[in-house]
Amino acid sequence: MSSVSHVAAGHVEPAIAFAAGPHGPKPRPAFSPRNIMIYGTLLLVSIYYLLPLYVMIVTSLKGMPEIRLGNVFSPPLEITFQPWVKAWAEACTGLNCEGLSRGFWNSVRITVPSVILSIAIASLNGYALANWKFKGADIFFTILIFGAFIPYQVMLYPIVIILREIGLYGSLSGLVIVHSIFGMPILTLLFRNYFTSLPEELFKAARVDGAGFWGIYFRIMLPMSLPIFVVAIILQVTGIWNDFLFGVVYTKPDVYPMTVQLNNIVNSVQGVKEYNVNMAATLLTGLVPLIVYFVSGKLFVRGIAAGAVKG
Amino acid sequence: MASVSVRDVSLNFGSVEVLKKLNLDVEQGEFLVLLGPSGCGKSTLLNCIAGLLDVTAGQIFINGKNVTWEEPKDRGIGMVFQSYALYPQMTVEGNLSFGLKNAGMPRDEIAKRIARAAGILQIEPLLKRKPSALSGGQRQRVAIGRALVRDVDVFLFDEPLSNLDAKLRSELRVEIKRLHQRLNNTMIYVTHDQIEAMTLADRIAVMRGGLIQQLDSPHVIYSKPVNRYVAGFIGSPGMNFIDGAIESGAFKAGDAKIPVERYQAQNGGHAGPATFGIRPEHVAHDEQARSMPFSREVDVEIVEPMGSDTLVWSKLGNQSLSFRTDSERYLKVGDKVLIGFDPARASIFDASSENRL
Repeated sequence: MSSVSHVAAGHVEPAIAFAAGPHGPKPRPAFSPRNIMIYGTLLLVSIYYLLPLYVMIVTSLKGMPEIRLGNVFSPPLEITFQPWVKAWAEACTGLNCEGLSRGFWNSVRITVPSVILSIAIASLNGYALANWKFKGADIFFTILIFGAFIPYQVMLYPIVIILREIGLYGSLSGLVIVHSIFGMPILTLLFRNYFTSLPEELFKAARVDGAGFWGIYFRIMLPMSLPIFVVAIILQVTGIWNDFLFGVVYTKPDVYPMTVQLNNIVNSVQGVKEYNVNMAATLLTGLVPLIVYFVSGKLFVRGIAAGAVKG
Repeated sequence: MASVSVRDVSLNFGSVEVLKKLNLDVEQGEFLVLLGPSGCGKSTLLNCIAGLLDVTAGQIFINGKNVTWEEPKDRGIGMVFQSYALYPQMTVEGNLSFGLKNAGMPRDEIAKRIARAAGILQIEPLLKRKPSALSGGQRQRVAIGRALVRDVDVFLFDEPLSNLDAKLRSELRVEIKRLHQRLNNTMIYVTHDQIEAMTLADRIAVMRGGLIQQLDSPHVIYSKPVNRYVAGFIGSPGMNFIDGAIESGAFKAGDAKIPVERYQAQNGGHAGPATFGIRPEHVAHDEQARSMPFSREVDVEIVEPMGSDTLVWSKLGNQSLSFRTDSERYLKVGDKVLIGFDPARASIFDASSENRL
């Protein structure tokens, strides 16, 4: 290739003379009305969404005297991390002054087992529904999907009774079970659609090769399903971490998840409103989903495309 | 003893009857091709034999053993799929050994079998590669190898060459034939490609609507099709069909009168409406046509050069008729040419039942 271009560069006169008029790629000006429209809109929308985040970050880095001056948009004159420390370790909810750290660890202890449990069961459900057609599979699937459309509020009180009867009301494990059950419809749908999209002949070949239900699941299907597992993990981690309703209904104050504790800190009525601590606490609570999105953004998009909701 | 025996097998998907009381016996070492258009039930039948689909009624025997309720792995079969169905996360070696490991075979025996299969298929240099790093032809070779290492008596092929381009297809076709001659296993091969069927098969089963229309050697299927459907399905370009009637020892269609004394009717033959079928390659022209029992001059309407020969369309008894000419015989539209054929090589079908007379 390089020798060819060398020869071409050596020639001053083109071998074929172009006729007058357009040739080659059509010129596209950078500031065409079309570009101004598109990029202008994008810019405006990004500012609209990023401004609140900016306000939160600068406020959380200011001291209270500076906040009282009222310049919401101005950057901090003197950067202080004291509000962050206070939000994490000293902020009070009721009589308890341990900060958000307790809620953070509670949330971790709720999220990790819930995510693992719900994905393990849902992926098996999806695999069985997609590949091992059993009698009544379609009805089972329909009922499961129907579950995704029932409003949570309807089921709040019945679940309170069920948890009380089995002695798990107010405990972390009770909440873990609730999260796992409520994640089941959408996750099963996700996995079923993904496994259905894998070539059926692969499954047949594995059966001829003598692999059984578990053998095919672990040896053939799982290694091919990384993208959809990433999607499921992101959906579940963010969903369960951000959950407020179930946390406040099914747990007691000493095992409240981070979201509930955040609410209690921000809404406490005694003393002055410490805006900087509130902002820092909110950012701390939102950090986990944020990190999950940043780390796995690309994988997420790939997985969503692969397991897109079809059929 | 038959190697594979299918007895009165029916299969319904809901209310749709895919296989209807189908019977089939395949001899030990035979190469049987199931041929038919898509939706005729040929792949379904193969899946039933493999045990990947449960039959609604009937029995399946492999090597004399009733395997109707057996799992695929216990039936003594190996299967090759159209999409290759290689496990993408495993190397070629892993693909070949997967079934053997599942069966709990000792390591050295696995290694021995892989070496043998790789030797036969010439895929030794590929053993450490992933399927994604292989070409289509190589993938299909590995897929055949996966059936080969199982060391089984019966091979099932489900349209194995349909995903390959024309050149590779003809290469692998020869290889499969060579493989069959070397191993002498029973092979059941599903295809919709009549060239594959004709070249590979000891016997062809032409299927339609869940039933076998004709089961015979490729030569008989080609020269003596049992009904109009089989006659039209086999052969490319397709057989000419001329509608008319048999009257007093001749077939009449429009102004054409073809003597049929030389035609060997299967069951006496009878007068009445009929369809006369003659293959384009059995219609002679020019000098050769003169000596044929039937000949006449026709107008050339369309000329289709195909390289090796040229297909010419004209009219006989006011119905279209095509015939093959040598590619050096230059004909153009409007020319007159003498054609002729021997009714002994033709097929005559009853107009209503469409069965061969």
